[in-house]
Amino acid sequence: MRGSMLAQQIVNGLMLGAIYMLMAVAFTLAIGVLNFLNFSLPGLFMLGGMVAYGFIKFGWPTLFAFAAALAVAALVSLLVERFAYRPMQGGDPEVPLVSSLGFLVLLENLMLIYFGSDQQAFPALVPDLNLRLGGLVIGIAQLGSLALSVLLVLWLSWFLSSTSTGRCIRTVAENRDTAVLMGIDTGRLVPMLFIASALLAAVAGLLFAVNYQQVSPFMGEGVGFKGVAAMIVGGMGSIWGAVLGGLLIGLAEVLSISFIGADVVNITVYGLLLVILILRPQGLLGRPATREKL
Amino acid sequence: MALLDVSGISVSYGRVNALKDVSLQVKEGEIVTVLGANGAGKSTLLKAILGAVPLKSGGITFADRDVTRAQPHKRIAEGLVLVPEGRRILISLTVEENLKLGAHMRRDGTAIAGEMDAIYARFPNLAERRNMLASCLSGGEQQMLAIGRAMMAKPRLMMLDEPSLGLSPLFVQKLFELIVELNRDGLAVLLVEQNTGKALSVAHRATVLELGRVTMAGDPKTLADDPRLQAAYLGAGEATPA
Repeated sequence: MRGSMLAQQIVNGLMLGAIYMLMAVAFTLAIGVLNFLNFSLPGLFMLGGMVAYGFIKFGWPTLFAFAAALAVAALVSLLVERFAYRPMQGGDPEVPLVSSLGFLVLLENLMLIYFGSDQQAFPALVPDLNLRLGGLVIGIAQLGSLALSVLLVLWLSWFLSSTSTGRCIRTVAENRDTAVLMGIDTGRLVPMLFIASALLAAVAGLLFAVNYQQVSPFMGEGVGFKGVAAMIVGGMGSIWGAVLGGLLIGLAEVLSISFIGADVVNITVYGLLLVILILRPQGLLGRPATREKL
Repeated sequence: MALLDVSGISVSYGRVNALKDVSLQVKEGEIVTVLGANGAGKSTLLKAILGAVPLKSGGITFADRDVTRAQPHKRIAEGLVLVPEGRRILISLTVEENLKLGAHMRRDGTAIAGEMDAIYARFPNLAERRNMLASCLSGGEQQMLAIGRAMMAKPRLMMLDEPSLGLSPLFVQKLFELIVELNRDGLAVLLVEQNTGKALSVAHRATVLELGRVTMAGDPKTLADDPRLQAAYLGAGEATPA
Protein backbone atom coordinates (compact mmCIF):
# COMPACT_ATOMS: atom_id res chain seq x y z
CA MET A 1 0.00 0.00 0.00
CA ARG A 2 2.78 2.32 0.94
CA GLY A 3 4.54 1.65 -2.35
CA SER A 4 1.51 2.34 -4.46
CA MET A 5 0.90 5.56 -2.57
CA LEU A 6 4.43 6.65 -3.35
CA ALA A 7 3.92 5.81 -7.01
CA GLN A 8 0.67 7.76 -6.97
CA GLN A 9 2.36 10.79 -5.47
CA ILE A 10 5.13 10.57 -8.03
CA VAL A 11 2.55 10.73 -10.81
CA ASN A 12 0.89 13.72 -9.14
CA GLY A 13 4.25 15.37 -8.64
CA LEU A 14 5.20 14.93 -12.28
CA MET A 15 1.91 16.52 -13.32
CA LEU A 16 2.49 19.56 -11.14
CA GLY A 17 6.11 19.53 -12.27
CA ALA A 18 5.02 19.62 -15.90
CA ILE A 19 3.25 22.91 -15.23
CA TYR A 20 6.32 24.34 -13.48
CA MET A 21 8.38 23.02 -16.36
CA LEU A 22 6.36 24.95 -18.96
CA MET A 23 6.68 28.10 -16.88
CA ALA A 24 10.40 27.54 -16.41
CA VAL A 25 10.86 27.04 -20.15
CA ALA A 26 8.89 30.23 -20.82
CA PHE A 27 11.20 32.14 -18.46
CA THR A 28 14.22 30.44 -20.01
CA LEU A 29 13.27 31.64 -23.50
CA ALA A 30 12.89 35.18 -22.20
CA ILE A 31 16.07 35.29 -20.18
CA GLY A 32 18.21 33.00 -22.32
CA VAL A 33 17.55 34.81 -25.58
CA LEU A 34 16.46 38.31 -24.59
CA ASN A 35 18.23 38.59 -21.23
CA PHE A 36 14.91 39.69 -19.82
CA LEU A 37 13.43 38.31 -16.59
CA ASN A 38 9.86 38.73 -17.80
CA PHE A 39 7.65 38.97 -14.73
CA SER A 40 4.52 39.36 -16.81
CA LEU A 41 4.68 35.61 -17.52
CA PRO A 42 2.84 34.63 -14.31
CA GLY A 43 0.16 37.09 -15.42
CA LEU A 44 -0.05 35.39 -18.80
CA PHE A 45 -0.28 32.01 -17.03
CA MET A 46 -3.22 33.42 -15.09
CA LEU A 47 -4.80 34.80 -18.29
CA GLY A 48 -4.60 31.32 -19.79
CA GLY A 49 -6.81 29.99 -17.03
CA MET A 50 -8.99 33.01 -16.30
CA VAL A 51 -9.82 34.02 -19.89
CA ALA A 52 -10.71 30.43 -20.75
CA TYR A 53 -12.89 30.33 -17.63
CA GLY A 54 -14.57 33.61 -18.60
CA PHE A 55 -15.41 32.50 -22.13
CA ILE A 56 -16.65 29.09 -21.00
CA LYS A 57 -18.92 30.82 -18.50
CA PHE A 58 -20.00 33.08 -21.34
CA GLY A 59 -21.18 29.99 -23.19
CA TRP A 60 -18.40 29.49 -25.73
CA PRO A 61 -17.43 25.97 -26.77
CA THR A 62 -14.47 24.79 -24.72
CA LEU A 63 -11.94 24.65 -27.54
CA PHE A 64 -12.86 28.16 -28.72
CA ALA A 65 -12.49 29.41 -25.17
CA PHE A 66 -9.04 27.81 -24.98
CA ALA A 67 -8.01 29.32 -28.30
CA ALA A 68 -9.28 32.72 -27.17
CA ALA A 69 -7.29 32.45 -23.94
CA LEU A 70 -4.10 31.66 -25.83
CA ALA A 71 -4.75 34.49 -28.29
CA VAL A 72 -5.36 36.99 -25.48
CA ALA A 73 -2.15 35.92 -23.74
CA ALA A 74 -0.20 36.30 -27.00
CA LEU A 75 -1.64 39.76 -27.63
CA VAL A 76 -0.93 40.95 -24.10
CA SER A 77 2.61 39.64 -24.45
CA LEU A 78 3.05 41.78 -27.57
CA LEU A 79 1.92 44.77 -25.50
CA VAL A 80 4.52 43.87 -22.87
CA GLU A 81 7.15 43.75 -25.61
CA ARG A 82 6.03 47.07 -27.02
CA PHE A 83 5.63 49.01 -23.79
CA ALA A 84 7.79 47.30 -21.17
CA TYR A 85 10.65 45.82 -23.17
CA ARG A 86 11.30 47.72 -26.39
CA PRO A 87 11.48 51.27 -25.00
CA MET A 88 14.05 50.16 -22.40
CA GLN A 89 16.53 48.71 -24.89
CA GLY A 90 20.04 49.93 -24.33
CA GLY A 91 19.29 50.77 -20.72
CA ASP A 92 19.57 48.77 -17.52
CA PRO A 93 18.17 45.24 -17.80
CA GLU A 94 16.41 45.80 -14.46
CA VAL A 95 14.11 48.44 -15.91
CA PRO A 96 12.01 46.14 -18.13
CA LEU A 97 11.97 43.64 -15.25
CA VAL A 98 10.20 46.19 -13.09
CA SER A 99 7.87 47.36 -15.84
CA SER A 100 6.92 43.74 -16.63
CA LEU A 101 6.15 43.31 -12.93
CA GLY A 102 3.87 46.31 -13.40
CA PHE A 103 2.05 44.38 -16.12
CA LEU A 104 1.59 41.44 -13.73
CA VAL A 105 -0.04 43.69 -11.13
CA LEU A 106 -2.16 45.35 -13.79
CA LEU A 107 -3.40 42.07 -15.25
CA GLU A 108 -4.18 40.66 -11.80
CA ASN A 109 -6.17 43.69 -10.83
CA LEU A 110 -8.09 43.87 -14.10
CA MET A 111 -9.17 40.28 -13.49
CA LEU A 112 -9.92 41.14 -9.88
CA ILE A 113 -12.30 43.91 -10.96
CA TYR A 114 -14.04 41.61 -13.37
CA PHE A 115 -14.19 38.32 -11.50
CA GLY A 116 -13.54 39.21 -7.87
CA SER A 117 -10.74 37.84 -5.77
CA ASP A 118 -12.30 34.47 -4.93
CA GLN A 119 -11.20 31.17 -6.35
CA GLN A 120 -13.55 30.28 -9.20
CA ALA A 121 -14.46 26.69 -9.92
CA PHE A 122 -13.23 25.73 -13.37
CA PRO A 123 -15.66 23.24 -14.93
CA ALA A 124 -14.56 19.61 -15.16
CA LEU A 125 -14.05 19.18 -18.88
CA VAL A 126 -12.50 15.80 -19.16
CA PRO A 127 -14.75 12.95 -18.05
CA ASP A 128 -13.51 11.49 -14.82
CA LEU A 129 -11.90 8.53 -16.49
CA ASN A 130 -9.01 6.93 -14.74
CA LEU A 131 -6.46 4.43 -15.77
CA ARG A 132 -5.93 1.84 -13.08
CA LEU A 133 -2.61 0.14 -13.10
CA GLY A 134 -2.31 -2.06 -10.06
CA GLY A 135 -3.02 0.24 -7.17
CA LEU A 136 -2.20 3.28 -9.24
CA VAL A 137 -4.88 5.70 -10.39
CA ILE A 138 -3.94 8.01 -13.23
CA GLY A 139 -6.46 10.57 -14.46
CA ILE A 140 -6.87 10.91 -18.20
CA ALA A 141 -6.59 14.69 -17.90
CA GLN A 142 -3.39 14.27 -15.91
CA LEU A 143 -1.88 11.93 -18.42
CA GLY A 144 -2.93 14.08 -21.37
CA SER A 145 -1.52 17.22 -19.78
CA LEU A 146 1.76 15.56 -18.98
CA ALA A 147 2.04 14.24 -22.55
CA LEU A 148 1.15 17.61 -24.04
CA SER A 149 3.72 19.44 -21.90
CA VAL A 150 6.47 17.00 -22.78
CA LEU A 151 5.60 17.11 -26.49
CA LEU A 152 5.58 20.90 -26.43
CA VAL A 153 9.04 21.07 -24.90
CA LEU A 154 10.40 18.36 -27.20
CA TRP A 155 9.05 20.25 -30.20
CA LEU A 156 10.54 23.53 -28.97
CA SER A 157 13.89 21.90 -28.42
CA TRP A 158 13.80 20.40 -31.93
CA PHE A 159 12.76 23.75 -33.37
CA LEU A 160 15.65 25.58 -31.71
CA SER A 161 18.26 23.01 -32.67
CA SER A 162 17.17 22.11 -36.19
CA THR A 163 15.44 24.95 -37.98
CA SER A 164 16.78 28.10 -39.56
CA THR A 165 14.68 30.28 -37.27
CA GLY A 166 15.98 28.25 -34.33
CA ARG A 167 19.57 29.00 -35.34
CA CYS A 168 18.69 32.68 -35.62
CA ILE A 169 17.21 32.60 -32.11
CA ARG A 170 20.36 30.96 -30.73
CA THR A 171 22.42 33.60 -32.51
CA VAL A 172 20.43 36.38 -30.86
CA ALA A 173 20.91 34.54 -27.56
CA GLU A 174 24.67 34.44 -27.96
CA ASN A 175 25.18 37.95 -29.27
CA ARG A 176 22.51 40.38 -30.34
CA ASP A 177 24.89 42.73 -32.17
CA THR A 178 26.32 39.89 -34.21
CA ALA A 179 22.78 38.80 -35.04
CA VAL A 180 22.10 42.21 -36.57
CA LEU A 181 25.32 42.08 -38.60
CA MET A 182 24.24 38.64 -39.84
CA GLY A 183 21.01 40.13 -41.15
CA ILE A 184 18.71 38.70 -38.53
CA ASP A 185 15.57 40.78 -38.36
CA THR A 186 15.37 41.23 -34.59
CA GLY A 187 12.37 43.51 -35.04
CA ARG A 188 10.43 40.44 -36.16
CA LEU A 189 12.16 37.77 -34.11
CA VAL A 190 11.83 39.42 -30.70
CA PRO A 191 8.01 39.77 -30.81
CA MET A 192 7.86 36.13 -32.00
CA LEU A 193 9.76 35.10 -28.89
CA PHE A 194 7.37 37.06 -26.71
CA ILE A 195 4.48 35.20 -28.32
CA ALA A 196 6.20 31.85 -27.88
CA SER A 197 6.91 32.37 -24.19
CA ALA A 198 3.37 33.73 -23.67
CA LEU A 199 1.88 30.63 -25.26
CA LEU A 200 3.96 28.36 -23.04
CA ALA A 201 2.80 30.24 -19.95
CA ALA A 202 -0.84 30.33 -21.07
CA VAL A 203 -0.85 26.61 -21.91
CA ALA A 204 0.53 25.98 -18.43
CA GLY A 205 -2.31 28.09 -17.00
CA LEU A 206 -4.89 26.18 -19.02
CA LEU A 207 -3.51 22.84 -17.89
CA PHE A 208 -3.52 24.06 -14.30
CA ALA A 209 -7.16 25.10 -14.60
CA VAL A 210 -8.22 21.85 -16.24
CA ASN A 211 -6.37 19.65 -13.75
CA TYR A 212 -7.00 21.44 -10.49
CA GLN A 213 -10.38 22.85 -11.52
CA GLN A 214 -9.86 26.22 -9.98
CA VAL A 215 -8.78 29.63 -11.20
CA SER A 216 -8.20 32.98 -9.52
CA PRO A 217 -6.64 36.33 -10.44
CA PHE A 218 -3.59 35.45 -8.33
CA MET A 219 -3.06 31.89 -9.49
CA GLY A 220 0.05 32.92 -11.44
CA GLU A 221 2.15 34.11 -8.54
CA GLY A 222 2.97 30.89 -6.74
CA VAL A 223 3.42 28.94 -9.95
CA GLY A 224 5.36 31.76 -11.59
CA PHE A 225 7.89 32.01 -8.81
CA LYS A 226 8.33 28.25 -8.74
CA GLY A 227 8.90 28.49 -12.48
CA VAL A 228 11.70 31.01 -11.91
CA ALA A 229 13.12 28.79 -9.18
CA ALA A 230 12.95 25.79 -11.51
CA MET A 231 14.81 27.70 -14.20
CA ILE A 232 17.55 28.76 -11.79
CA VAL A 233 17.99 25.33 -10.24
CA GLY A 234 18.03 23.72 -13.67
CA GLY A 235 20.65 26.13 -14.95
CA MET A 236 19.77 29.49 -16.47
CA GLY A 237 19.34 29.44 -20.21
CA SER A 238 19.17 25.66 -20.54
CA ILE A 239 15.83 24.28 -21.69
CA TRP A 240 16.56 20.80 -20.40
CA GLY A 241 17.66 22.36 -17.14
CA ALA A 242 14.26 24.07 -16.93
CA VAL A 243 12.58 20.72 -17.60
CA LEU A 244 14.59 19.00 -14.88
CA GLY A 245 14.11 21.86 -12.43
CA GLY A 246 10.36 21.99 -13.02
CA LEU A 247 9.82 18.26 -12.57
CA LEU A 248 12.06 18.23 -9.51
CA ILE A 249 10.16 21.03 -7.80
CA GLY A 250 6.81 19.43 -8.64
CA LEU A 251 7.94 16.13 -7.19
CA ALA A 252 9.49 17.69 -4.11
CA GLU A 253 6.35 19.67 -3.43
CA VAL A 254 3.89 16.81 -3.78
CA LEU A 255 6.06 14.33 -1.90
CA SER A 256 6.74 16.68 0.97
CA ILE A 257 3.03 17.51 1.29
CA SER A 258 2.07 13.87 1.49
CA PHE A 259 4.94 12.54 3.56
CA ILE A 260 5.98 15.45 5.76
CA GLY A 261 3.03 17.77 5.85
CA ALA A 262 1.54 20.69 4.01
CA ASP A 263 2.75 23.20 6.63
CA VAL A 264 6.39 22.73 5.79
CA VAL A 265 6.13 22.42 2.04
CA ASN A 266 7.85 25.70 1.25
CA ILE A 267 10.61 24.95 3.73
CA THR A 268 11.38 21.58 2.19
CA VAL A 269 11.06 22.70 -1.44
CA TYR A 270 13.09 25.87 -1.15
CA GLY A 271 15.48 24.18 1.28
CA LEU A 272 16.17 21.56 -1.37
CA LEU A 273 16.75 24.25 -3.97
CA LEU A 274 19.11 26.05 -1.65
CA VAL A 275 21.14 22.88 -1.09
CA ILE A 276 21.34 22.25 -4.83
CA LEU A 277 22.52 25.78 -5.50
CA ILE A 278 25.14 25.58 -2.76
CA LEU A 279 26.49 22.38 -4.29
CA ARG A 280 26.10 23.50 -7.93
CA PRO A 281 25.86 27.29 -8.19
CA GLN A 282 25.47 27.14 -11.99
CA GLY A 283 22.38 24.93 -11.62
CA LEU A 284 21.93 21.27 -12.49
CA LEU A 285 22.55 21.52 -16.23
CA GLY A 286 23.98 25.03 -16.37
CA ARG A 287 27.43 25.53 -17.76
CA PRO A 288 29.89 27.67 -15.88
CA ALA A 289 29.91 31.16 -17.36
CA THR A 290 31.13 30.81 -20.94
CA ARG A 291 34.54 32.11 -21.78
CA GLU A 292 34.58 35.49 -23.46
CA LYS A 293 35.78 35.11 -27.00
CA LEU A 294 38.56 37.29 -28.26
CA MET B 1 26.67 52.75 -62.52
CA ALA B 2 28.67 51.46 -59.62
CA LEU B 3 27.52 48.40 -57.71
CA LEU B 4 27.85 50.31 -54.46
CA ASP B 5 27.62 54.07 -54.37
CA VAL B 6 28.15 55.77 -51.04
CA SER B 7 27.62 59.48 -51.41
CA GLY B 8 28.49 62.01 -48.76
CA ILE B 9 27.53 60.01 -45.68
CA SER B 10 28.02 61.31 -42.15
CA VAL B 11 27.64 59.33 -38.94
CA SER B 12 27.90 60.56 -35.40
CA TYR B 13 27.93 58.79 -32.06
CA GLY B 14 26.43 61.37 -29.74
CA ARG B 15 28.53 64.49 -30.25
CA VAL B 16 31.43 62.65 -31.82
CA ASN B 17 31.48 62.76 -35.61
CA ALA B 18 32.68 59.34 -36.72
CA LEU B 19 32.26 59.93 -40.45
CA LYS B 20 32.11 63.25 -42.25
CA ASP B 21 30.87 63.47 -45.82
CA VAL B 22 32.43 60.20 -46.96
CA SER B 23 31.93 59.13 -50.56
CA LEU B 24 33.07 55.87 -52.09
CA GLN B 25 32.22 53.61 -54.99
CA VAL B 26 32.72 49.94 -55.67
CA LYS B 27 32.13 48.72 -59.22
CA GLU B 28 31.30 45.19 -60.29
CA GLY B 29 34.33 42.93 -60.10
CA GLU B 30 36.44 45.41 -58.16
CA ILE B 31 38.47 45.19 -54.97
CA VAL B 32 38.43 48.51 -53.17
CA THR B 33 40.38 48.94 -49.99
CA VAL B 34 39.82 51.45 -47.23
CA LEU B 35 42.91 52.30 -45.21
CA GLY B 36 43.36 54.36 -42.12
CA ALA B 37 44.61 54.36 -38.56
CA ASN B 38 42.67 53.03 -35.57
CA GLY B 39 39.66 55.23 -34.95
CA ALA B 40 39.64 56.66 -38.46
CA GLY B 41 36.09 55.39 -38.90
CA LYS B 42 36.73 52.37 -41.12
CA SER B 43 34.55 49.94 -39.17
CA THR B 44 31.87 52.57 -38.78
CA LEU B 45 31.90 53.05 -42.55
CA LEU B 46 31.26 49.35 -43.17
CA LYS B 47 28.55 49.20 -40.51
CA ALA B 48 26.91 52.28 -42.00
CA ILE B 49 26.97 50.70 -45.45
CA LEU B 50 25.31 47.61 -43.96
CA GLY B 51 22.75 49.76 -42.17
CA ALA B 52 23.75 48.77 -38.64
CA VAL B 53 24.49 52.37 -37.61
CA PRO B 54 22.19 55.25 -38.59
CA LEU B 55 23.28 57.92 -41.05
CA LYS B 56 23.09 61.58 -40.16
CA SER B 57 23.17 62.57 -43.81
CA GLY B 58 24.08 61.21 -47.22
CA GLY B 59 22.81 58.29 -49.23
CA ILE B 60 23.72 54.76 -50.26
CA THR B 61 22.67 52.92 -53.39
CA PHE B 62 23.41 49.26 -53.99
CA ALA B 63 22.73 47.46 -57.27
CA ASP B 64 20.80 50.48 -58.56
CA ARG B 65 18.53 50.60 -55.55
CA ASP B 66 18.45 53.26 -52.90
CA VAL B 67 19.10 51.37 -49.67
CA THR B 68 19.72 54.43 -47.50
CA ARG B 69 16.79 53.58 -45.26
CA ALA B 70 16.78 49.80 -45.66
CA GLN B 71 17.30 47.56 -42.63
CA PRO B 72 20.50 45.44 -42.58
CA HIS B 73 18.60 42.23 -43.31
CA LYS B 74 17.17 43.75 -46.50
CA ARG B 75 20.60 44.84 -47.68
CA ILE B 76 22.11 41.44 -46.92
CA ALA B 77 19.30 39.76 -48.86
CA GLU B 78 20.32 41.96 -51.81
CA GLY B 79 23.86 40.61 -51.60
CA LEU B 80 25.57 43.32 -49.54
CA VAL B 81 27.34 41.21 -46.92
CA LEU B 82 29.76 41.98 -44.09
CA VAL B 83 32.49 39.82 -42.59
CA PRO B 84 32.70 41.69 -39.29
CA GLU B 85 35.74 42.75 -37.35
CA GLY B 86 36.86 40.05 -34.92
CA ARG B 87 35.09 37.46 -37.11
CA ARG B 88 32.11 37.18 -34.76
CA ILE B 89 31.80 33.44 -35.06
CA LEU B 90 28.93 32.06 -32.97
CA ILE B 91 30.78 29.84 -30.50
CA SER B 92 27.65 28.12 -29.17
CA LEU B 93 26.85 26.92 -32.69
CA THR B 94 28.63 24.21 -34.65
CA VAL B 95 30.77 25.00 -37.68
CA GLU B 96 28.01 23.82 -39.99
CA GLU B 97 25.36 25.80 -38.10
CA ASN B 98 27.50 28.91 -38.52
CA LEU B 99 27.57 28.31 -42.26
CA LYS B 100 23.84 27.67 -42.41
CA LEU B 101 23.26 30.83 -40.44
CA GLY B 102 24.81 32.78 -43.29
CA ALA B 103 22.04 31.51 -45.58
CA HIS B 104 19.20 32.07 -43.15
CA MET B 105 17.34 34.55 -45.33
CA ARG B 106 17.49 32.33 -48.41
CA ARG B 107 14.78 29.88 -49.43
CA ASP B 108 16.57 28.08 -52.29
CA GLY B 109 17.46 24.95 -50.30
CA THR B 110 19.20 22.90 -52.99
CA ALA B 111 21.43 25.77 -54.11
CA ILE B 112 22.37 26.35 -50.46
CA ALA B 113 23.42 22.73 -50.03
CA GLY B 114 25.54 22.92 -53.18
CA GLU B 115 27.28 26.07 -52.02
CA MET B 116 27.98 24.55 -48.64
CA ASP B 117 29.68 21.61 -50.36
CA ALA B 118 31.74 24.07 -52.41
CA ILE B 119 32.79 25.88 -49.23
CA TYR B 120 33.78 22.60 -47.60
CA ALA B 121 35.78 21.70 -50.71
CA ARG B 122 37.56 25.04 -50.47
CA PHE B 123 38.17 24.74 -46.72
CA PRO B 124 38.81 21.07 -45.87
CA ASN B 125 39.60 22.02 -42.26
CA LEU B 126 36.04 23.26 -41.83
CA ALA B 127 34.63 20.09 -43.43
CA GLU B 128 36.52 17.95 -40.93
CA ARG B 129 35.14 19.90 -38.00
CA ARG B 130 31.67 20.56 -39.36
CA ASN B 131 29.85 19.06 -36.38
CA MET B 132 32.12 20.53 -33.72
CA LEU B 133 31.43 23.75 -31.88
CA ALA B 134 32.97 26.69 -33.70
CA SER B 135 34.81 27.64 -30.50
CA CYS B 136 37.30 24.83 -31.15
CA LEU B 137 38.61 26.38 -34.37
CA SER B 138 41.90 28.26 -34.54
CA GLY B 139 41.88 31.97 -35.35
CA GLY B 140 42.69 31.36 -39.00
CA GLU B 141 40.02 28.69 -39.31
CA GLN B 142 37.53 31.03 -37.68
CA GLN B 143 38.34 33.66 -40.29
CA MET B 144 37.75 31.09 -43.02
CA LEU B 145 34.46 30.19 -41.37
CA ALA B 146 33.46 33.85 -41.20
CA ILE B 147 34.17 34.24 -44.92
CA GLY B 148 32.41 30.95 -45.69
CA ARG B 149 29.42 32.12 -43.70
CA ALA B 150 29.34 35.38 -45.67
CA MET B 151 29.56 33.40 -48.93
CA MET B 152 26.47 31.43 -47.87
CA ALA B 153 24.49 34.67 -48.09
CA LYS B 154 25.15 34.75 -51.85
CA PRO B 155 27.01 38.07 -51.78
CA ARG B 156 27.47 40.40 -54.72
CA LEU B 157 29.69 42.63 -52.61
CA MET B 158 31.62 41.29 -49.64
CA MET B 159 32.82 43.80 -47.08
CA LEU B 160 35.68 42.53 -44.94
CA ASP B 161 36.61 44.35 -41.74
CA GLU B 162 40.24 43.74 -40.73
CA PRO B 163 40.24 40.10 -41.82
CA SER B 164 43.99 39.65 -41.27
CA LEU B 165 43.89 40.82 -37.66
CA GLY B 166 45.54 38.32 -35.33
CA LEU B 167 46.39 35.80 -38.03
CA SER B 168 49.76 34.13 -38.55
CA PRO B 169 51.73 35.32 -41.61
CA LEU B 170 50.94 32.04 -43.35
CA PHE B 171 47.21 32.54 -42.86
CA VAL B 172 47.45 36.18 -43.92
CA GLN B 173 49.01 34.98 -47.16
CA LYS B 174 46.21 32.41 -47.63
CA LEU B 175 43.58 34.99 -46.79
CA PHE B 176 44.73 37.44 -49.44
CA GLU B 177 44.99 34.64 -52.00
CA LEU B 178 41.41 33.73 -51.15
CA ILE B 179 40.21 37.31 -51.55
CA VAL B 180 41.84 37.55 -54.98
CA GLU B 181 40.36 34.17 -55.94
CA LEU B 182 36.84 35.14 -54.89
CA ASN B 183 37.21 38.40 -56.75
CA ARG B 184 38.35 36.57 -59.87
CA ASP B 185 35.14 34.52 -59.63
CA GLY B 186 33.19 37.77 -59.90
CA LEU B 187 32.77 38.93 -56.31
CA ALA B 188 33.21 42.64 -55.63
CA VAL B 189 35.16 43.31 -52.42
CA LEU B 190 35.35 46.24 -50.05
CA LEU B 191 38.33 45.58 -47.82
CA VAL B 192 39.21 47.43 -44.64
CA GLU B 193 42.74 46.59 -43.56
CA GLN B 194 45.53 47.53 -41.21
CA ASN B 195 47.91 45.52 -43.34
CA THR B 196 48.29 48.41 -45.76
CA GLY B 197 50.95 46.88 -48.01
CA LYS B 198 49.00 43.68 -48.58
CA ALA B 199 45.74 45.53 -49.10
CA LEU B 200 47.25 47.88 -51.68
CA SER B 201 48.81 44.96 -53.52
CA VAL B 202 45.44 43.29 -54.19
CA ALA B 203 43.19 46.35 -54.57
CA HIS B 204 42.07 47.99 -57.78
CA ARG B 205 41.38 51.25 -56.00
CA ALA B 206 42.04 52.58 -52.53
CA THR B 207 40.60 55.20 -50.20
CA VAL B 208 42.30 56.60 -47.12
CA LEU B 209 40.26 57.72 -44.13
CA GLU B 210 41.61 60.04 -41.46
CA LEU B 211 39.47 61.09 -38.52
CA GLY B 212 36.31 60.23 -40.43
CA ARG B 213 37.19 62.06 -43.63
CA VAL B 214 38.47 60.82 -46.98
CA THR B 215 41.92 62.33 -47.37
CA MET B 216 43.22 60.38 -50.34
CA ALA B 217 41.67 58.17 -52.96
CA GLY B 218 42.75 56.60 -56.19
CA ASP B 219 45.04 54.09 -57.76
CA PRO B 220 46.73 51.85 -55.17
CA LYS B 221 50.13 51.99 -56.91
CA THR B 222 50.12 55.76 -56.88
CA LEU B 223 49.02 55.75 -53.26
CA ALA B 224 51.66 53.21 -52.31
CA ASP B 225 54.27 55.65 -53.60
CA ASP B 226 52.72 58.63 -51.90
CA PRO B 227 55.15 59.84 -49.24
CA ARG B 228 52.37 60.77 -46.82
CA LEU B 229 50.88 57.27 -46.92
CA GLN B 230 54.31 55.71 -46.73
CA ALA B 231 55.13 57.72 -43.68
CA ALA B 232 51.86 57.03 -41.92
CA TYR B 233 51.15 53.38 -42.73
CA LEU B 234 53.93 51.72 -44.63
CA GLY B 235 56.67 52.41 -42.13
CA ALA B 236 58.92 54.10 -44.67
CA GLY B 237 60.58 57.44 -44.09
CA GLU B 238 60.04 59.53 -41.00
CA ALA B 239 57.11 58.46 -38.85
CA THR B 240 55.75 61.96 -38.70
CA PRO B 241 52.09 62.74 -39.18
CA ALA B 242 51.30 63.71 -42.74
